[in-house]
Amino acid sequence: MLFRKSIIFSLTLLMILGSMFLVFGSVSAQDKPYEGTKINVLVWRDAHTKAVKERVSEFEEMTGIDVVIDDLPTQSLTQKMAMNVTTETGKYDLVAVDEPYVPQFAEYFLDYKDWPAPKVMDGKIQLSEIPEGAVTAAAWNNSIKGLPINANAYIMIYRKDLVENKENQKAFKDEYGYELQAPDTLEQLNDMAEFFYNPDEMMYGYAPFTVKSEGATVEAMWLFKSFGVDILDQNLNVVLDVDKAVAALDYYKKILEFGPPSKLSMGHPETIQNVNAGNVFATLQWPAIIAGHENPKESRVAGKLGYPLNPEGPGGRAAITGVWSLTMPKVSENKQAAAEFAYWWGSYESGKELVEAGMSPIRKDLLTDPMLQKDHPWYKSVLANLDKAAVHRPRFPEYMKVSDKVQLYFAKVINNEMEPRKAMTEMKSEIENIIEEYKND
Amino acid sequence: MIKKLKNTIEGSLIKWGFLEKKDDIIPYAFLAPALIILGGILFFPLVYSFVLSFFNWNMTQSGGAEFVFLDNFIKLFGNGAFWHSVRLQVLFVAISVFLELLIGLGVAMLLNHNFAGEHVVRALLLLPVFILPVVSGLTFRFMYDPQYGAINWLIGLFGFNPVPFLSKSTFAFVAIIIQDVWRMWPFMFMILYASLSSLPESPYEAAAISGATKWQVFRHVTLPMLKPSIVIAVILRIVNALKAFSEIYVMTNGGPGDATSIMSIFIYKNAFDFYEMGYSAAASYVLVAIALAFSIYLVKTQFEF
Repeated sequence: MLFRKSIIFSLTLLMILGSMFLVFGSVSAQDKPYEGTKINVLVWRDAHTKAVKERVSEFEEMTGIDVVIDDLPTQSLTQKMAMNVTTETGKYDLVAVDEPYVPQFAEYFLDYKDWPAPKVMDGKIQLSEIPEGAVTAAAWNNSIKGLPINANAYIMIYRKDLVENKENQKAFKDEYGYELQAPDTLEQLNDMAEFFYNPDEMMYGYAPFTVKSEGATVEAMWLFKSFGVDILDQNLNVVLDVDKAVAALDYYKKILEFGPPSKLSMGHPETIQNVNAGNVFATLQWPAIIAGHENPKESRVAGKLGYPLNPEGPGGRAAITGVWSLTMPKVSENKQAAAEFAYWWGSYESGKELVEAGMSPIRKDLLTDPMLQKDHPWYKSVLANLDKAAVHRPRFPEYMKVSDKVQLYFAKVINNEMEPRKAMTEMKSEIENIIEEYKND
Repeated sequence: MIKKLKNTIEGSLIKWGFLEKKDDIIPYAFLAPALIILGGILFFPLVYSFVLSFFNWNMTQSGGAEFVFLDNFIKLFGNGAFWHSVRLQVLFVAISVFLELLIGLGVAMLLNHNFAGEHVVRALLLLPVFILPVVSGLTFRFMYDPQYGAINWLIGLFGFNPVPFLSKSTFAFVAIIIQDVWRMWPFMFMILYASLSSLPESPYEAAAISGATKWQVFRHVTLPMLKPSIVIAVILRIVNALKAFSEIYVMTNGGPGDATSIMSIFIYKNAFDFYEMGYSAAASYVLVAIALAFSIYLVKTQFEF
């Protein structure tokens, strides 16, 4: 009798537990409509994407989507993207693309307007929530090819503490006849670089970017644009003004005299080292790297840097953009889930958390958030530079060939191996050949 | 059944001339999987890239590849940047291999006698050759740094200004050669030392009896007997130096400007920066042709058959 009662009791308990499991299970399945879905995402590697990787579990928990993130250095990322996207393997559901490569691969990406509406996230990211200078980075042939995801602009940073020093202010005014302040023009930048240049104390005026790489092209483009030099117009005509370009290079050679000993082969590692050690007065830098300069564990100048608008040259102000966009290959089989992830990444709510983990935001509401600006003083400058000075590199599918020529002749001039005028004339002629060949193809 | 199949295959192979009548197919059957895999791994990329060199194919464009026959080669031979890379490549190979031969031979001669700790010294001398080119390149890049590099620190101790090794064209080219010589001279040493150790004694005894000086012994006895080993070592090094890439890529990326843009850098840039796959395949085959020409010339002129 007792045995029978025990069996009935056990069965009843099992039924109750089973029903509870079914009820809660179905609720959970409703909450996670993508349970069992896996998406592959290919991104660049820096503080921004590291932050996303750290927080992606929150998104996975919320949606049930398993997100596999492959992060690679920029050069390798582009190669991997080329292999996967152009062969239409469908391996990646989202691919981060650096701005200059958008035209080259645009035909493989779904227009942002055709991305699916979300089921879990609140809504698609409205492009009006992103600075216009960044949105155009994802544009090609009158359509937006992805969701711009970080506000990357090459902005000026300088040693605010040195400028605010009373003794420096007095000595500078005595020598140059005007107040020491944040460099607002290229001439002021040159004066200040000269004033603070003291190699005996390992203090240098300006840290350039000159090592052979895309970074050198960006530096050259910034310089050219500040002197009013464009390389190509919208219709792919070579419009390079040799006289202005020569003036720009003459200026650059002058300011280079105040650079560190490695000034002719400086890349990111050398610049980071010099800035963090407090050895340079000013340089141009990308926001993702600035986060490191402001980290007291890595840098001696944390809290001592200022972020003005990029200095004005004879051609105005220029901030070269390097905005990354999340693109969706047309062959992706998980478009819906991939879009959810992109919307999560680009949303205000997750953005606020990702910023704390090191992400460089792109949303206007994050860049203008007073609390965030307090801890990230460069946000204001990023936004202002994107609004007032954003300059895109020439946009056409064979941009890298133009970039190669810019690097070549920029190096020849700064190494005193070629006269600026001869170099610019030859560069113009070679770029014309590239364009002509492209048009003939 | 199996025997019947065996006989049928054997019969066909004999008929097509692949097999002699006395041969048995079984050993070949055992070798076949390995040969097929090896063929796939070794020959497929060779054939594929050779075929590719006759196509105009930009990997990023969806139009596909277009057969252009010799256009890629014609375009290549009309490209100043290509000839510049060929010139640099020939100079790089000639200077590096010559210096490596000189140092390798010199050290092999010096160590070619018994002394305490010879095994340890020999083993230590060989270390650089086992270092990965990319690691060696990165290490030299840091050592050459004008601000933080060890070499400029040493130069500074003597009161001289830092030398921008990697940012001046001539310096940069010399810098990549120094790196290559440092890493690869032990390779020459290894081959020449092994050869020196096994030379017969009798010619030396005859030279001593004839009253030959040390230089005469070296010039008329040692060098001729070493010649086959020297030729082999030089051929191997030339082929290897023609493929130099990763160390130069990490040291200078072909810069400053195009001062160190040797052929491998030129090929890489066209393939993976510009995605011109057919064009870079054509350039690769020119590099192969140069390597073959060097090797054939050396073998023909230095060996007697």
